[in-house]
Amino acid sequence: MNIKFRVLPIIALAMALLFAPQARAEQPAAAGGADASAPTINLDKSSLDNGGDFVISGKAPAGSKVYIELWSAEKTVKANRFDGKKDPKTGIIPYKFYITKDMPAFYKIVAPVEMAGILDKAKAAGKSWKYSEVLKETGADAAYTVPAKIQIDNYQATIMASILGSRGTLLPPMDEKASKRESMKLVKVRFRSVGNLLSAKVETAPDGSYTAKVSIRSGLAPGKYNARVTAVTERIKEGDKETVKKVTSEVASFENKIAFPTVYLSTAGTSINIIWPFLLASAVTIFGVLMGAGGGFILNPLLLMFFPLPHTVVAGTVMPTVLFAQGTGIANYSKIKFINWKLGIGIGCAMLVGGFIGPKLTEMITLDQFKFLFGWVLLILAALMLWQTTPGYLANNKKEQAILKEFKKRAAEAAKAKG
Amino acid sequence: MKVDFWGQEFEANMFVGCIGGFLIAIMSSMFGFGGGPFMVPLMTLGLRLPMYIVVGSSLLAIFFNTAMGTFRHYQFGNFDLVLFLVMFPAAILGGYIGPKIAKKLSPVVVKRVACAGLVILGTKLLGLF
Repeated sequence: MNIKFRVLPIIALAMALLFAPQARAEQPAAAGGADASAPTINLDKSSLDNGGDFVISGKAPAGSKVYIELWSAEKTVKANRFDGKKDPKTGIIPYKFYITKDMPAFYKIVAPVEMAGILDKAKAAGKSWKYSEVLKETGADAAYTVPAKIQIDNYQATIMASILGSRGTLLPPMDEKASKRESMKLVKVRFRSVGNLLSAKVETAPDGSYTAKVSIRSGLAPGKYNARVTAVTERIKEGDKETVKKVTSEVASFENKIAFPTVYLSTAGTSINIIWPFLLASAVTIFGVLMGAGGGFILNPLLLMFFPLPHTVVAGTVMPTVLFAQGTGIANYSKIKFINWKLGIGIGCAMLVGGFIGPKLTEMITLDQFKFLFGWVLLILAALMLWQTTPGYLANNKKEQAILKEFKKRAAEAAKAKG
Repeated sequence: MKVDFWGQEFEANMFVGCIGGFLIAIMSSMFGFGGGPFMVPLMTLGLRLPMYIVVGSSLLAIFFNTAMGTFRHYQFGNFDLVLFLVMFPAAILGGYIGPKIAKKLSPVVVKRVACAGLVILGTKLLGLF
């Protein structure tokens, strides 16, 4: 008996959920009258040279609002988000990890010019702007289709699983609505700023013909890009539910070309002129040698500052670069028997465990959290460096350097005697 | 634990060493750098070992962390081959030129410059200016 009563509300809820989406469903193209014919789309250029300006024009039903969805059709990138924020209603921390590999490397919706005010307001809100809210306010949600369909894996993470370095248990796929909602959050995590995701450039004449001057910035993914026009003819609001009458055009495409020395970094999803990172890395390693340290802690923040790279890629790529230098260092020191293996391996085992956990944390935090934590790490490091230039430390160091030299001499002699 | 080095014996507190090494490893693999500048003070100050033991042995300890961190980052798909191929030769070039300049410069001056640079970078990352 008891069980039955518990099940009843759940069934009722399930019924409600089943019917609710139908009420809110968007009416596709066919619903309109005579003037709701599909809009046309024309691009004035078929290829761009590492970004540039071009004009999209065409004809939409008179009086409709025109949105243009632009996305990179060939290149996809990874995007992930960790939800560790307490739900204000239930007080439960979800500990969910969302990840997709299918995020287009470029995504933007161009809205009508009159929406510029809304975008400016969102820009003024700084980092805390909400993509889903801006989409709704500008009406651009009607054109939001491509990321809504990407496959998003969601994991139930636990603290224990995170310590062990696993993403947690893979949960069953989300329903269409939840997936769309999460996709908006991932889009924001990936592209970050209002200006990257939205612009208000579409000018519409009373007869429905529209033009939009669109600029694609340099440093984006190469390859085929798609554009599709969505014309919203009518929005009918009845209480909670809203019916959006819209018509969509066919997909038009153009090509974004890049040439050496600009190269596309597929994991990072951006193209960069490789000469700059090369010069930067050389300068930093030279400086690192002078300082007697690797230099990774200087290289990483500089790479983040100058290039639009995700922090996961920066951390994950600089680390193997350091590996080689360390290997040669160990080989050199072991030749003159300057390594205490017991001590090195003992602490090394503890570091092995730490190195297992760290990269998981990189994935879980956002770029802003990464910058904040790294900022403090650098300040601590600066304090350590300053301490190493104090007279007391230097005097002590001088003594030890003398002993070190003596040992090195003995080691060299021993090696000679053996040879 | 007793540590033997060229006939001299030292006492090292491995408990402090392992806990410290573990924490430094988490931090450095998370941010993607080696961790040497943290390991050396840990072993000289925390374990009271002389510098000449620390230089080589800390490098060996860090190597474990970097190897594991590299593997894990690769596993999570954070490794970009093209960027690596750009920076790897740069690192070798830097390692070749660096020692040649090192003889002409005082390490104290270099460290003070680095210190100023780190403060600027750190405050910039914190968004203070």
